[in-house]
Amino acid sequence: MKIKSLDPRIERAQLDSDSQEGMNSPMDQFQTYEVFEQKKRGTHHIHVGSVHAPNAELASVFAKEQYTRRGQCVNLWVVPTAAIYATAYEDADIFETTPSKYHRDPESYKVMDRIQAFKQKQNA
Amino acid sequence: MEMTERHVMGLIEMLYKMADDQLIIGHRNSEWTGLGPILEEDIAFSSMAQDKIGQSLALYELLHELGEQDPDTVAFTRNAEQFHCCQLVEAPIGEFDFSIVRQYLFDQAEALRFEMLITSVYEPLAMVSRKFRGEIKYHVMHGKTWIEQLSKGNEESHDRMQQALNAVWPLALGMFEEGDYEKEIAEVHIFAGEKALQARWMETVVPFLSSCGLEIPAHSDAVLGGRKGKHSPELQPLLDEMCEVFRIDPSAEW
Amino acid sequence: MYGSAYIDPNTQFEGYLAPGEDPALLAEFEARIAAGDKIEPRDWMPALYRKQLIRMIEQHAHSEIIGALPEGTWITRAPGFRRKLALMAKVQDEVGHAQLLYNAAETLGKSREDMINDLLTGKSKYSNVFNYPAMTWADSAVIAWLIDAAAIVNQLANSKGSYGPYSRALDRICAEESFHLKYGHDNVVFLATGTPKQRQMVQEALTRWWEPIMHFFGPPDNVSQHTEVLMRWKVKMDTNDNMRQMFLNMYVPKIWDLGLSLPDPDLRKNEETGKWEYTEPNWETFKQVINGHGPCNAERLAVRRMAEEKGRWVRRAILKENTPYAIPLS
Repeated sequence: MKIKSLDPRIERAQLDSDSQEGMNSPMDQFQTYEVFEQKKRGTHHIHVGSVHAPNAELASVFAKEQYTRRGQCVNLWVVPTAAIYATAYEDADIFETTPSKYHRDPESYKVMDRIQAFKQKQNA
Repeated sequence: MEMTERHVMGLIEMLYKMADDQLIIGHRNSEWTGLGPILEEDIAFSSMAQDKIGQSLALYELLHELGEQDPDTVAFTRNAEQFHCCQLVEAPIGEFDFSIVRQYLFDQAEALRFEMLITSVYEPLAMVSRKFRGEIKYHVMHGKTWIEQLSKGNEESHDRMQQALNAVWPLALGMFEEGDYEKEIAEVHIFAGEKALQARWMETVVPFLSSCGLEIPAHSDAVLGGRKGKHSPELQPLLDEMCEVFRIDPSAEW
Repeated sequence: MYGSAYIDPNTQFEGYLAPGEDPALLAEFEARIAAGDKIEPRDWMPALYRKQLIRMIEQHAHSEIIGALPEGTWITRAPGFRRKLALMAKVQDEVGHAQLLYNAAETLGKSREDMINDLLTGKSKYSNVFNYPAMTWADSAVIAWLIDAAAIVNQLANSKGSYGPYSRALDRICAEESFHLKYGHDNVVFLATGTPKQRQMVQEALTRWWEPIMHFFGPPDNVSQHTEVLMRWKVKMDTNDNMRQMFLNMYVPKIWDLGLSLPDPDLRKNEETGKWEYTEPNWETFKQVINGHGPCNAERLAVRRMAEEKGRWVRRAILKENTPYAIPLS
């Protein structure tokens, strides 16, 4: 049965509602690319999402409009997802004690008290 | 040289054809919204369509400053014979091969046209030309990436690109149809003229298309008439769509 | 934009641990969610959680791509530059949202192509509201305002859900939807405060859309064990009725404010309970439409099929064989 549509594009296409065309095969799946945007020179690139594309050139063309059509951006990276080696969340404990390693923390070096005490002793 | 009435008329004629081209191709390219071959491409086409319609608005605003009616009236109430777009921009999107060849050939001409206009003595136009530069650069990048990949894709896609090029080429040559004031706008350095633009365009697109393994159709006559209000039968139905809501109540503010 | 995932009340709930799943892992998983932490793609998760999320995110993605169709109808006809550019950007966003959501669902292990196939065969659903036609320009305005408003209620709730990729996608989506809502409201206000003809158009559109809007959040939830587990796992964030109440509370006053009326004589806020009272919409109609008998089901799927079919040669031409497919990272 021909579809009667309010949409001029669809009217022109003369679609048949009984057609069973359109099915994809799993072979139609593109690679994915991860997208990183830099909002301003001098800042880090930040991961914003991914696109499906057959190669980096098209991934970049796609990423530009999908991820930067609002707001500021000066640079865009696309990286094949398969090229990213990520740590496993179950290994998150390798980071666990890091925040308590005070010897790396500038805040843990407080010498003013000691200097004051030393000065008082000198002046005494 | 001093600007006379004929120079201004030439300027107005030129702005109309540029704005009408953009308005119509913008509407046509918007037809991909929701129907693209890949979701991501659907989004890209929509952005380019928005850019084109936005650019046409900027040009209609320049026309308004030159005494023409306001942009909404000019864009959405004229009939086909009052439009100055070339016939290249008029057909619906058709298949992706047609759309992408049209998009590239059109945008490559736009890129060169606005590059030439950056030095126009008509400063408001030089200003918008600088503003459009980045947008159009992306449009060209988009078109070239697709043409190259599809021409070198597989046999079917190569054939489709060649056939689309054969069909689009004479229409594309129609972009450079000369106006009545070519001499005037050139002599005061508003714009160097369609012939000069066409030469640059040929120098750019021919080597690129050849490098993609596509053959430039030989003995192809330009489809002319658009600049003089002679259009394909596809334009008026689109204009009817564009006016449909306004016509429900012309006194209303939408 | 999107309504609640339609959970078939006849679904058999077979316990929340599949055979062979480790209760200790489940305990850890539940503790993480209870603590307000997000679950990420490569974490252990119960099969039921994965299945429900795929179904929900996929339905949401389908709703976005199908949702682009009724409004897309009006792009070439949008009156004037201001409305036209806004509508184009809005419908583009819907397609963009579909892209983000398919990616989020993909992280759970179902490919975009499989999801689209399930949409085309009718195996997987989309929001019922898009099976209705946008008859006039005013319908497109009502959709942009009220359907998007309803979607925001739902999406804001879901963005607090437990699955990281879905939450991130929804954060981005909600930010964009707020532009849709503003645009839609502006458009409706112009019509409602405009000429008599414009007012008539918008009133008629509102009357047409009221039942689909009331259907939007889905039928009242039966508080099954199934729903309870999904809420504990922060897959389902609130009951359908609660979200409907939130929507009514925020938007009915705004509609009345414009002097527009709604086709339900019993609609009113009970000041004692603070709840809105209304005539239950016909849930039989809702089921009929879900099962393919709405005014536009056939067209929506036929259009999607056409898009897939017309795009196939393009995809095939640029597809490189033997490239490794990797599930999106996050």
